[in-house]
Amino acid sequence: MTLQHYLVISAILFTLGIFAVLTRRNAISILMGIELILNSCNLNFAAFSRFMTPPEDISGQIIAIFGIVLAAAEAAVFLAIILAIYREFGSIRPNEVDTLKG
Amino acid sequence: MVVPLISLILLCPLAAFAIFALLGLGNRSFPRQDYLSTAAMLIGLVCSLLLLREVVPGPAPHTVKWISLGGVTFSMGFYLDSVTVIMLIVVTLVSSLVHIFSMGYMHGDPRYPRFFAYLSLFSFSMLFLVVSDNLLGIYIGWELVGLCSYLLIGFWFEKDSAADACKKAFLTTRVGDVGMFIGMMMLFTKFKTLSLYGEGGIFALAASLNTGDMVWLSIAGVLIFCGALGKSAQVPLHTWLPDAMEGPTPVSALIHAATMVAAGVYLTARMFPILTETSSLVIAYIGGITALIAATIAIVRFDIKRVLAYSTISQLGYMMLGIGVGSYVAGLFHLTTHAFFKALLFLGSGSVIHAFHAMHAHDDHDEHDHAAHGDHDLVHAHGSEIPPDQDMRNMGGLRHKMPITFVTMLIATLSISGVPFVFSGFWSKDAILGGVLGRAMEWNSVHHYLLFGIALFAAGITAFYMFRLIFMTFFGEPRNQEMHDMAHESPKSMTVPLLILAVLSLPIVNILWFNEDYVKPPEQPHLHTPQHAYVSPDSKTDKAGITLSLFGVSEAVAAEEGGHDTHGAHADDGHHGHHGPAHTIAMVLSILVAGLGILLSWMFYHRRSLSAQSVATTFRPLYNLFWHKYYFDEFYDGVLVALTVWKARLFAQFDGTIVDGIVNGVGTVTRDFLAVFIGIFDNRVVDGLVNRVAEVTWAIGGRVRRIQTGAIQTYLFVVLAGIVLLILIFRVL
Repeated sequence: MTLQHYLVISAILFTLGIFAVLTRRNAISILMGIELILNSCNLNFAAFSRFMTPPEDISGQIIAIFGIVLAAAEAAVFLAIILAIYREFGSIRPNEVDTLKG
Repeated sequence: MVVPLISLILLCPLAAFAIFALLGLGNRSFPRQDYLSTAAMLIGLVCSLLLLREVVPGPAPHTVKWISLGGVTFSMGFYLDSVTVIMLIVVTLVSSLVHIFSMGYMHGDPRYPRFFAYLSLFSFSMLFLVVSDNLLGIYIGWELVGLCSYLLIGFWFEKDSAADACKKAFLTTRVGDVGMFIGMMMLFTKFKTLSLYGEGGIFALAASLNTGDMVWLSIAGVLIFCGALGKSAQVPLHTWLPDAMEGPTPVSALIHAATMVAAGVYLTARMFPILTETSSLVIAYIGGITALIAATIAIVRFDIKRVLAYSTISQLGYMMLGIGVGSYVAGLFHLTTHAFFKALLFLGSGSVIHAFHAMHAHDDHDEHDHAAHGDHDLVHAHGSEIPPDQDMRNMGGLRHKMPITFVTMLIATLSISGVPFVFSGFWSKDAILGGVLGRAMEWNSVHHYLLFGIALFAAGITAFYMFRLIFMTFFGEPRNQEMHDMAHESPKSMTVPLLILAVLSLPIVNILWFNEDYVKPPEQPHLHTPQHAYVSPDSKTDKAGITLSLFGVSEAVAAEEGGHDTHGAHADDGHHGHHGPAHTIAMVLSILVAGLGILLSWMFYHRRSLSAQSVATTFRPLYNLFWHKYYFDEFYDGVLVALTVWKARLFAQFDGTIVDGIVNGVGTVTRDFLAVFIGIFDNRVVDGLVNRVAEVTWAIGGRVRRIQTGAIQTYLFVVLAGIVLLILIFRVL
């Protein structure tokens, strides 16, 4: 298991995340895509920390943990927004929320 | 001590008014404004009495420089001599008594506090006028008392007659004031100062003028006298004063009898040193004519207040006459005595009106046919305008109902009629008559003999109409039983001032005026004895007033070798030979005419052995002349007012046709020609430019707006594409 394996996995996760964010018609699915992107980043931090720095230096891992916490908080806010949008528009499909359309 | 005292005298009434004004002009007035104003006046009275001791004997200026402007210096200051102090005492005393009287008379009036505040403002203005040492200060006080007079005449402004009367008073006096202002400006142009006293003052400078300037100085003197003409209601500007009786009666007593109208006399007396022979004669003639005309009008009036108003005009004429013949002291002495007994007469009439007024409140609309009650069926025209509670034809027999009012008014009437020795009016009037005759004999002047005749005749008429008032009001049978039953004596706050004034109508003030060490008349450098006079050239001015003394028994008489001269004369004057006989003759004649007047009055109005009606029918034209007040009002309405209205119409027509025509023509040209071109330019060029810009912006906006789809994922895609593009670019570079 070399650094390349981790980076490939991470790249695949990132791409899947982007794909989900751009294509899904459901806001929850978009959230899931965002989570994938965030986790691919965390994976990168952890991998680079493991392979590129001395073993004493664990700052990469710590940033990954911060990223997880951040993702949790972000998910909470996102879901709250989704609820508010549902109340307002009766739907959570992003393409139906288009009051800013020119 | 003098300056603090005089400041206190001025500031107290001003403060009383200021408190009223600051509390919102009557909305939330000080709860006891009446006590406040009265207290202020009483303090002023005490201070004035203290000043009496301070300012002895005579002209000592206490000038306080106040203001200094630019190249020319205007100074404000006080000038106190014995005359000023006596005036201060008269004003504060009468004002205090009127304040106290008003507490009873004005009780229950909706604007009660405002009345007292106005009285305070008036008192301040009058006192300021009295103590000013320069024409500017006098003029300021002069206009302020005019304003107060206006406010107080129109105090019951709900009545149309009161509103008209206050406007008439203000405008008529303004006519005189314009003359006064021109006179002031003449003096100012010549002397570059408005101060009267001191080395650089007008009097000092005027004294050094030579004979070439006499015409000019006479004109200036007469013009300044014009102010007095209006304020003191002299013919021909006298018509406002009878109408001013629309104001509350205490106001009539204070302003239109005792003090403000006397300000004109005071001003003329102040200007005494610059009076020339011509201006003196003008003043004397106007005074004499006024005395006669007003007295004759008073005979036929039925409104008790109008009788007193014409009487006031007549007495003011006497004072002017006195000053005009050089009897400075006599004129001012008469001012003082008149202030007291005329205030008493007015307050007494107020007491009578008050007595009827209470009844009036019960029985408001029961209008009687007044003419039917009296014996004067000749009443026409103005007869119906008299308020029933002021109409003497409704009175009669009141002496039992109102004993205090009756006795005090009788004392004042005896005083004004010139009943000898124990009443002050006799002394002052006789001083003037003696002064006129003295001047006539001294100068051997036809003018002054004529004036003496006029004054003597008017004195007789005065006695006649004053006793007519007393007989009609207080004697005989009640003419209107219903009103008579309701009448009652007035409350103490009203009778006490009456009693005090009655005491003052006795010759008390004589002590001041007959004290030669205290009152000294100023010199008249430009009044020369005419060539034809047969007196020694060193005798200058007549000091007639001083030659009298209290009760006619003077210490000087004892020293005099000629025991026939009961008046006493100056041993040092060198011309007492003319005054002694003059005063004796004047006194005897004035007692005679006064007695005759009273006798005739008694026969007409009490004993009724003569019928006023038949006399009036016999002398119908004369009666009509008096009844219509010499047609002055008709003349003013018919000529001056009509001329003014005609002139106004003319100018209105000029405005309507020519000025409006020009304006409209310019308007038409602008609208029909210029505006059309400018309109086209605006529509085509300016609007076009603006519209084009707007259209272009609109078109661009319409296209560009489509970029904003509102779909999040589209935006995200564009962002991603942008990032990819950036990465590619940086990779390539």
